[in-house]
Amino acid sequence: MDEDVLTTLKILIIGESGVGKSSLLLRFTDDTFDPELAATIGVDFKVKTISVDGNKAKLAIWDTAGQERFRTLTPSYYRGAQGVILVYDVTRRDTFLKLDNWLNELETYCTRNDIVNMLVGNKIDKENREVDRNEGLKFARKHSMLFIEASAKTCDGVQCAFEELVEKIIQTPGLWESENQTKGVKLSHREEGHDGGACGGYCSVV
Amino acid sequence: MATWERPSQRLPQQQPQAAEPATEGNPSLPTGRELAEANRFAYAALCGISLSQLFPEPEHSSFCTEFVMGLVKWLELSETVLPTMTAFASGLGGEGADVFVQILLKDPILKNDPLVITQDLLTFSLKDGRYDARARVLICHVTSLLQVSLEQLDILEETFLESLKETKEEESETAEASQKKKENLRKWKRYLLIGLATVGGGTVIGVTGGLAAPLVAMGAATIIGSAGAAALGSVAGIAVMTSLFGAAGAGLTGYKMKKRVGAIEEFTFLPLTEGRQLHITITITGWLASGKYRTFIAPWAALARSREQYCLAWEAKYLMELGNALETILSGLATMVAQEALKYTVLSGIVAALTLPASLLAVANVIDNPWGVCLHRSAEVGKHLAHILLSRQQGRRPVTLIGFSLGARVIYFCLQEMAQEKDCQGIIEDVVLLGAPVEGEAKHWEAFRKVVSGRIINGYCRGDWLLRFVYRTSSVQLRVAGLQPVQLDDRRVENVDLSSVVSGHLDYAKKMDVILKAVGIRTKPGWDEKGLLLAPGSLPQEEPRQGASPSSSLGETSHQDEQAQGLTPEDTPKVATSTNPSQAEVPAGLDQPEGASPPATINPIESPHVCSHIVGPNPLGCPDCASQTQGPCPGLD
Repeated sequence: MDEDVLTTLKILIIGESGVGKSSLLLRFTDDTFDPELAATIGVDFKVKTISVDGNKAKLAIWDTAGQERFRTLTPSYYRGAQGVILVYDVTRRDTFLKLDNWLNELETYCTRNDIVNMLVGNKIDKENREVDRNEGLKFARKHSMLFIEASAKTCDGVQCAFEELVEKIIQTPGLWESENQTKGVKLSHREEGHDGGACGGYCSVV
Repeated sequence: MATWERPSQRLPQQQPQAAEPATEGNPSLPTGRELAEANRFAYAALCGISLSQLFPEPEHSSFCTEFVMGLVKWLELSETVLPTMTAFASGLGGEGADVFVQILLKDPILKNDPLVITQDLLTFSLKDGRYDARARVLICHVTSLLQVSLEQLDILEETFLESLKETKEEESETAEASQKKKENLRKWKRYLLIGLATVGGGTVIGVTGGLAAPLVAMGAATIIGSAGAAALGSVAGIAVMTSLFGAAGAGLTGYKMKKRVGAIEEFTFLPLTEGRQLHITITITGWLASGKYRTFIAPWAALARSREQYCLAWEAKYLMELGNALETILSGLATMVAQEALKYTVLSGIVAALTLPASLLAVANVIDNPWGVCLHRSAEVGKHLAHILLSRQQGRRPVTLIGFSLGARVIYFCLQEMAQEKDCQGIIEDVVLLGAPVEGEAKHWEAFRKVVSGRIINGYCRGDWLLRFVYRTSSVQLRVAGLQPVQLDDRRVENVDLSSVVSGHLDYAKKMDVILKAVGIRTKPGWDEKGLLLAPGSLPQEEPRQGASPSSSLGETSHQDEQAQGLTPEDTPKVATSTNPSQAEVPAGLDQPEGASPPATINPIESPHVCSHIVGPNPLGCPDCASQTQGPCPGLD
């Protein structure tokens, strides 16, 4: 089964505490919803294989804890991530206003700059909306992010969010191909080392 | 010692899963559980990531997963983190290890005392009465990540042992224990015939139920806090102790071959040190030379890997023969092979060595037979050792194997044999093979990755001409581990080029202290003093030798005299005949007898006729060059 998989992508979910990051993930991976879901400790991890445009991609999804006391741990997960899902709660304006902080953190800790970001406004099933769809859209455009509104409870837009993100990542070849390529280069280097010969064709091409 | 009495006074507090209630009333000694939740998470995650980095092999995956899952429970983390931790342990998310380290180092508790993690991990690892070699490697790894010196880990282990001993003594009043003691005593009577040496070391261990206490580092209390013993000892009881040190309490010294195994005639463990330790070291001597190095334990006088060290005594008869033959051939060769030819051998590859001087082949018959016999026997002994270790005669604690020459070959075959068994993981911590006459092709070493948890050190010498020579007929292999690095791409493998330290094969025995330092194995600091302090009476009949051994650095002449006298009369004719043709070629000016060695025929053999002190490493391994590098060479004076 693994042979069909085009690549493994590392996806990170970040956002304020209680916006529904874990619920989104749970809906996506297990298709369940638990209104009483406990706060995440540290980070949660799930794997799911999805198929986008006939390409199978294995997603390693890291769902970080939003709570302040676990905030120190978050930086350790950014490294090597190819996609980030930034979540806010449409019924809580404060979670929307804090997005800037998250973007700052993202910039600080991300190791690559072509990483694909997606903004998700969660809990659209609720009635007391505080953040308008257009506001979210505007923010996403400004920071060149993908945008979608979703509800983990009603399953609205959840699948779509992940699919779109993966699609965008796959369309950005340098993002996920580079890993395979570096592996290839490493191999050839190693072989050269074993043979004890000076660098041959590889160097001269360069 | 007042520190160690505290455990009994402490009030037991919560500890969910262990049978013995934990005692952690002292706020000055925080355990891992007292860290903030985020930091406990980071701590467990760091362990998980480290495990996946240290043991990526599929054979170890169940251990890694179980360890991390146990740790999550131990740290009272929510079960929801289990999938994450399992992911960490299976190699995902390894990017963040350094971040976790930094987080941990910023923790208010750990900032002042990062040793808390080490201590907590140690307690966790030992709670079931097992000390897996992999756990120890992990603890060492995490400890160094947290910038704590490994010596502090040693002190912790000693403290733990000490507190275990306290627990044990309290409980030893029970009928069951005393019954056990009696049984042990009876058992020991049967072992009286094993030999004075074994019983001398063994009875102490046997009678006290394996609790001959090591010296307690007085500094331990100051480093881990006065209540250290309390926290450490709390989980443990008699069961832990028994499991850790082997049920019989006798351990390795008590091991006796019940029946003849294969062709093995001799196989006993001689204690090198008197202490007890949570991990042990077994050394294996490659041959028995004349003089100072005629005993198995002589080369290991400086070794201080752990407080509990053994030396495997095997096939003395044959090893003695081999040692004599080696010395014979060396001394004979030294007189006849030109320096130029030797230099050529040093510089060129193995292919060059295949074209041996014809004169050399003339003496080959001296060596080939004992070498062949020992080659075969070392393999048998290695296999036997493997089964002893697999049956946990040494208790459930990590073992480090160190051997040179044929001793390294014993280790090689021990590992090979263990690799074929199912439960071979987590027993061996490190192995050190020095000048090993074994296959050096990486694919033969591949299997060792699942057996060895820590390091696989291959100490080799490019100019080990003697090894190249004796190994030529025994097998057609061109790659010999003792002559070149083993090209196995694994974090465990460390190839150490000893060419600058070892000038020949016989140096492996004589310069063991320097070699051990070179490969990073702890030796006794200024071991001439402490050697007497740590290893007295471990072998009753060896005592004078133990005492004499430190003198090697002091006086070389006395050692040579010893060596000359050590040669048995039977050897003399053999030596004479084999070296006679070669002696004719000795340059007259160099043929000066030195010292007052009585047998005249041996004199030229022992003296360094063609010493290459000036030219560099002597590929012949001239027996005297070795010992004389520190001091002036009397032969040249």
